[in-house]
Amino acid sequence: MNARAPGERGPARRCAREPVAVTGMGLVTPVGTSAAAVLAAMCEGRSGLAAPAAGHALDGCLEVAGFSPPIDPESVLPGPQARTVDRSIVMALRAAEDALADAGIEVGRDVDPYRIAVIVSNVGGSATLEQQVLSRAARGRLGVSPYLLAGVLPNMGAAHIAIRHGIRGYSSSIGTACAAGAQSIGEAARLLRADEADVVVCGCSEAPLHPTFADAFGNARALARGWAKDPGGASRPFDRRRNGLVLGEGAGVLVLERLAHADARGAGGYAAVLGWGATNDAHHIMTPRADGEGAATCLRRALADADLAPGDIGYLNAHGTGTRLGDLAEAAAVRTVFGEHGPPVSATKAVTGHLLGASGAVEAAVTAAALGRGLLPPTHNLQDPDPGCALDHVRGAPRATRAEAAVSTSFGFGGHNVSLVLGAPATRRVRRA
Amino acid sequence: MIDAEIRRFALASLREMNFDVEGLDDDSLLGPAGADLDSVALAELGIRVEDRFGVTFADDEAEQLAAMTIGEFCQAVAGLLAAAPTAGS
Repeated sequence: MNARAPGERGPARRCAREPVAVTGMGLVTPVGTSAAAVLAAMCEGRSGLAAPAAGHALDGCLEVAGFSPPIDPESVLPGPQARTVDRSIVMALRAAEDALADAGIEVGRDVDPYRIAVIVSNVGGSATLEQQVLSRAARGRLGVSPYLLAGVLPNMGAAHIAIRHGIRGYSSSIGTACAAGAQSIGEAARLLRADEADVVVCGCSEAPLHPTFADAFGNARALARGWAKDPGGASRPFDRRRNGLVLGEGAGVLVLERLAHADARGAGGYAAVLGWGATNDAHHIMTPRADGEGAATCLRRALADADLAPGDIGYLNAHGTGTRLGDLAEAAAVRTVFGEHGPPVSATKAVTGHLLGASGAVEAAVTAAALGRGLLPPTHNLQDPDPGCALDHVRGAPRATRAEAAVSTSFGFGGHNVSLVLGAPATRRVRRA
Repeated sequence: MIDAEIRRFALASLREMNFDVEGLDDDSLLGPAGADLDSVALAELGIRVEDRFGVTFADDEAEQLAAMTIGEFCQAVAGLLAAAPTAGS
């Protein structure tokens, strides 16, 4: 800690493009609760997707989904609140607690409470809202809990994390649907580069596994169908037999830190965020531009922000949801930017399903772990690549790499595109997930 | 008799709301010095009592709940019930 007054900004010495360190990671996913576990699941082809159990609220709504492990709400919240918060907030709290512990940060001891920020969001506690709407329909006004808002608002993950850990600096929640997790990391980097904080807790948590959301995705014809007998085969990004995404739940929270701050406290970094970019397709509410132009411009911005050329990128962790249009547009964007001989590509959603906004944070963590291990994970189920998605796909077995920089892409309903450029650890100390 | 029922319902509600009711009695405060209900929890307790007994707390009555003991709260509910004899279950 330094001797500044609380919240006071340091001298203006920051380079706008200074990399920032990823010093902690906390994940909740259908294939494990660490980046190393998700990387291993991808490398081993171990799917986290399953049919809903008989009697589950989703039985009959969804053929297959990505269920994350149960978390006792009372392990992260006082009893009376634990009863009333949405699962998305419980997972956000768990992931944030794990990420801060992983980074070795206790607020007040390792960082000034006013110099740590939190940028965490979720689409909103829609399962809890669904239940309350039904309760109100059945019982009228008295069926509605006064705890509802504190349990479901999209900012409440960030708010609960701030309250639990005493984080008193900047706080916000990014609402860009499935780009939100990645964008939270980008905004965190922006905050650190501007010296508005020393540490940022950033990411996203999503709990969309309830009937109303399942039916909304299903009726939009976005979900993979016909995989009830082979749930592990349902999510198959870039494969010719892909026919939609698989909904999943989970959370990804990263601790980002100014390099000098991480070095000063001797914290090892998993990776560096070297740059990022964001654009909007300005095209359609739910489908991407077929030519991937918005996503391509986003990738170029991220590379420019990182001061790297396309040839410097040794791995691309794709958004890769397994929808026909989405995968085609993404492949087009990657070819536009990287040409015919682009970087090796793989997609995490093949084993986790689509964790909506949380996927970008989880995939950034996986990308960091892949760089740290020097191991590029394959895309599970990619047996017969769609010729329309021609890329250098990693499939079958993992590939060894000496890549020093990688990109993770995320795209959200509403045309939101975000690209993150991650690099090998920038701190003097190095950790491996 | 109705007092006992109100007290039983209030304590059952607090238990359902995940509060520790061990050791609470008529003299325990609802607020921070006792059962430790915050404003949202008090609002929920109020809603549950309104739902169960068909009474309605006025805004100024609701504001006073934090300073009440459990015994006073039960008396307040009983008072509302007596004032509206056709309401309740």
